[in-house]
Amino acid sequence: MKRLGVAPAGDSLPSRSAALAGLVGYALLAAAVPVAAAAPPDLTGVWSIVKPEDALKTADGKQPPLLPEARAVYEKHQAMAAKGDRSFDLTTRCLPPGLPRLMLIRSPFEILQRPNTIYFVHELNRLPRRAYLNEKLPTDADPHYLGYSVAHWDGDALVIESNGFEDGTVLDAAGLPHSDALQLTERYQLDKDGKHLHARFTIEDSKTFSAPWSFRAEYTKRRGYELHEDVCADKQKPHLLAQ
Amino acid sequence: MLTKTQRGGAFFLAVLLAATATGFAAPTPKTLNDSGDPTLALTPPLRGSGPAPKGSPPPNPDPRNFEGVWWLQGYEYMLGPESGVAPPLKPEYMKVLERRIRAKNRGTPEADASTQCLPHGMPRLMESPYPIEIVQTPGRLTFLHEVAHNVRRIWLNRPHPKNPTPSYLGDSVGHWEGDTLVVDTIGLNDRTFIDDEGSSHSTQLHVTERYRKSEGGAKLELTLTVEDPVTLEHSYSYHRIYHWRPDVRPQEYICEENNRNAPVDGVTVAK
Repeated sequence: MKRLGVAPAGDSLPSRSAALAGLVGYALLAAAVPVAAAAPPDLTGVWSIVKPEDALKTADGKQPPLLPEARAVYEKHQAMAAKGDRSFDLTTRCLPPGLPRLMLIRSPFEILQRPNTIYFVHELNRLPRRAYLNEKLPTDADPHYLGYSVAHWDGDALVIESNGFEDGTVLDAAGLPHSDALQLTERYQLDKDGKHLHARFTIEDSKTFSAPWSFRAEYTKRRGYELHEDVCADKQKPHLLAQ
Repeated sequence: MLTKTQRGGAFFLAVLLAATATGFAAPTPKTLNDSGDPTLALTPPLRGSGPAPKGSPPPNPDPRNFEGVWWLQGYEYMLGPESGVAPPLKPEYMKVLERRIRAKNRGTPEADASTQCLPHGMPRLMESPYPIEIVQTPGRLTFLHEVAHNVRRIWLNRPHPKNPTPSYLGDSVGHWEGDTLVVDTIGLNDRTFIDDEGSSHSTQLHVTERYRKSEGGAKLELTLTVEDPVTLEHSYSYHRIYHWRPDVRPQEYICEENNRNAPVDGVTVAK
């Protein structure tokens, strides 16, 4: 079914639905409908997370499968945070939060969907991110705070794969660590109502976790909201600008 | 695809070439208002981008499609009506510009917004030696500037809000006059300079940009008009060219990471 490029065989899809989707796919093919040419849904607009997430858990509510060394780092971060020491958190110095953390915060973002690139422009410190369509993930990407992202449409779901992350960021506000081996897969599906965006994030990082793990997030469309000029350096104390 | 390092190298080479060229052709650098005073020496312009290399994807022939990566040809440190000519500042603001140029030439430039990773302001942001990516969606053009992840949103066919909250990049609205995109910007705060040399503007700054594609879309030509009843004697305009550069992919530019220009006691310590 995947080969035909019809419906997404998402791992959450019950097998009966998958079979049904397959049948529909064949029916469409039989009717010679150019399935591949079907326009993807337009995700352009401003979105906000429904429930911001400070401390990630897996989709079934468990602790992420941290390897012993990474667990020690996580526990150290938590102990520091408990004492009010957030020096492990680069955002305190106006550096980007990294991913997926940037997608877990209250601050809204804008998607600009174009045929070759999907742009995510975040209100937080005006951070932009690009996911290039129909491109392979490089094996030698230079490290960046927001990684290097490629995207493709799997049916009507947008799938973004990223690597090339700086290892200095943390995956969530609680300080869940990752390494430069982090590989992130995001799967975005527009709800039938057109007002909600369902996302599934999958984390793979063999230096930090014993197995890949996933979690979900949901975003709501902020019709009429326009992103503000948010300038992190302007909020730093003391403000350095000479007047 | 040029990496940032390669691009840096290209610019370094351009600076070297420019320096060499100036060295032979004009041994004394230009000075503010042709005063001949070496303490008022102006920083010579950079060469900037040329056309896309041969074999690059062709530009979009639609004159109203500005989408893609554009890169400034030349880079002026002072944004007056002509290269090396100061903006028509009122005498008191010309004195401020003199003070800032002298401070720069002493090696202790006055801190401007960009040295603290604050947005560059207008029109200075359009004079960046880094590429600009334009994204065009219904009712909007979005300028994604590589330099310090600045973002400009230009809203088509709508008026400015009545009392826009002053911001670094202001409120920008646009409309088409034939195949010319006219962008009108107000609502700017006065924490930025007009240009890199330090020409002042007030919150009454009004910038008009007229963009038009030429040479089949290989160039984007800009005529920019600056008005400011507080700091300028009169309005003035200048012309710029941006090259279509599909071979360039904007890179992550995090000013906050390694800000060597951070000021101490209001003075930039390194540049």
